[in-house]
Amino acid sequence: MAHVVLKDLVKTYGSFKAVNEVSLTVNDGEFVALVGPSGCGKTTTLNLVAGLTSVTSGDIIIGDRVVNDLDPKDRDIAMVFQNYALYPQKSVYMNLAFPLQMRKLPRDEIDKKVREAARVLDMTQLLERKPRELSGGQQQRVALGRALVRDPAVFLMDEPLSNLDAKLRVQMRSEIKRFHQDLKATIIYVTHDQLEAVTMADRMAVMNGGYLQQYDSPAQIFAHPANMFVASFVGSPAMSLIPLEASTANGDTVLTSAEGWSLALSQPNARKILRASTNKIVLGARHSTIKLHKSSVPGAIPAKAYTVEPTGDVTFVQAFLSGAIVNISVSPNIAVAPDERIWLEFDQERVHLFDGETQTALEAN
Amino acid sequence: MSTIAETTSRGQTRRRVRIDGWRWGGRVFLVFMLLYTALPMVWMLLTSIKSGFAAMQLPPQWWPDQPTLASYQKLLDPQNSVGQDFLRFFWNSLIVSTATTILSVIVAVPAAYAFSRFTFPGRNFLFFAVLLRNMFPAVIFLVPLFVLMRAIGLVNTHGSLILTYLTFGLPLAIWLLKGFYDNIPVQLEQAARIDGATRLQAFILIVMPLSAPGIIATAIYSFIGAWNEYIYAYTFLSKNEQLTLPVGIQRFFSENTTDFPGLMAASFMMSVPVVVLFLVLQRYFVRALTEGAVKH
Repeated sequence: MAHVVLKDLVKTYGSFKAVNEVSLTVNDGEFVALVGPSGCGKTTTLNLVAGLTSVTSGDIIIGDRVVNDLDPKDRDIAMVFQNYALYPQKSVYMNLAFPLQMRKLPRDEIDKKVREAARVLDMTQLLERKPRELSGGQQQRVALGRALVRDPAVFLMDEPLSNLDAKLRVQMRSEIKRFHQDLKATIIYVTHDQLEAVTMADRMAVMNGGYLQQYDSPAQIFAHPANMFVASFVGSPAMSLIPLEASTANGDTVLTSAEGWSLALSQPNARKILRASTNKIVLGARHSTIKLHKSSVPGAIPAKAYTVEPTGDVTFVQAFLSGAIVNISVSPNIAVAPDERIWLEFDQERVHLFDGETQTALEAN
Repeated sequence: MSTIAETTSRGQTRRRVRIDGWRWGGRVFLVFMLLYTALPMVWMLLTSIKSGFAAMQLPPQWWPDQPTLASYQKLLDPQNSVGQDFLRFFWNSLIVSTATTILSVIVAVPAAYAFSRFTFPGRNFLFFAVLLRNMFPAVIFLVPLFVLMRAIGLVNTHGSLILTYLTFGLPLAIWLLKGFYDNIPVQLEQAARIDGATRLQAFILIVMPLSAPGIIATAIYSFIGAWNEYIYAYTFLSKNEQLTLPVGIQRFFSENTTDFPGLMAASFMMSVPVVVLFLVLQRYFVRALTEGAVKH
């Protein structure tokens, strides 16, 4: 196992910048998720680490070697692909043996390692099958087996679960997590599903438009999103982002909506506003930090329920405030009807404030 | 029986009759096409085992009174001058066709792979330039190519034919194979390269076996094209000892017009390699032509 360092990594295709000065360090044995929407540069970043794409500028260090100009085969990495990329003409056994054959290991050693990997992944009885005779979950497992059979320095995984059905995905998610814990493997895992990243990774790197937005533990990113993109991307349902205007009147800082209502800020939040470059402020609130009242309460903002989605454990209510969708979660025994008048109270200790111009989070140091 | 049931059954019958009409029409058409293609070959075979006299009789002997393999023996006898010529033509055809096939696979495989996998300046232009050649009838190039071959001193060599057949067969071969490579996920090669293969090894060990049906189809296509070609062989070659089968048979037997059994036996033996090749490899051929038509 080894650590991986990306230094000011840039990849351009013509005038298009797919990856923009991305720098991050993956510690030895760490599970890092690269997460972001389609086209954010996460897969390109992974391909750069794998050596499948050439670096425009910057450095990639695996272990203690700069690997920029090394072939994929010389980087001591293993990769699991979204479509598994099993060799269709080879049996499961030969698929697992292929990386070892390429390294010219003696035949009996190959056999030993293949059978060991098959035993670990519980697919000894599948060794003679061809990939097309396997189910999606089994194929996925062979792909994983092919990666771990030769004990690489780093595992790269490119959306390995997105071709599986929902139930199997949850199951494989915990299996991969277990696999990481048992092997103490260094893993870089690409996904567009923030839930996968949050549940599996030690740290997650949120990317958008080729830029690294934030790189921290899932808990930190959830609690302190660096900007509006991260805030809206991580967490489900997404954080509500309400555009407002700040003003000060007789010592109190107030956020006013174009709709007419206003919200007086607490002292700590008012201090955060001072850091803003503009009076345009975006208020961010997760569904669980907004309290729903069925009658007027001091400090609560009147709204109208738009949709109501019961999920069993909680009911999600959507409403519009200042033109933005607001998600609120309520206990299922509170009945809310669409178009019903409701009052929303924000938990001022848990709301997030963003600079409306720079879109970055306003923190109190 | 109720009236409702009767009407229903009558309705069904009527509908089935209409379908049957089309189906029978189709069958008749297919039988006609079968006879149209098969009968000349059957007649060729029957004539080839007749004596020279029996072949000329009117009304014809539908089944030869005295079947004989004399024509085949004569053609395959190296002591006989007829046999010597036939075997030499056969050998020439084999050399030209095999060389064309091998070269066309050697050129088409990397070319198709490059067109499928890499982006390079002029890629689209080159690809359509390759196909442009197939938009003109082959004869148009006859004179220009002859002049060209004479200029580079290839007239009366098998090389002139091999080169020409290559230019005819390659466009389709490249087009066909490109479809194959387009359908092989690039991740397979990437996986192989990460698993320790060089780019070339990934191609040879993983991609080539997967494109085997396409390569086989390409090979058959080139071979048949070269084996049957007449006009260019007729124009480029004039020395008797270099002739390929189509020209050789025609020339040789135009001097011996009466020997129809001999002509038919030679024609039959000429078609044997193609038919055998096709029968053995036809499933690949069909797969190759339909592959790439649909996305999997």
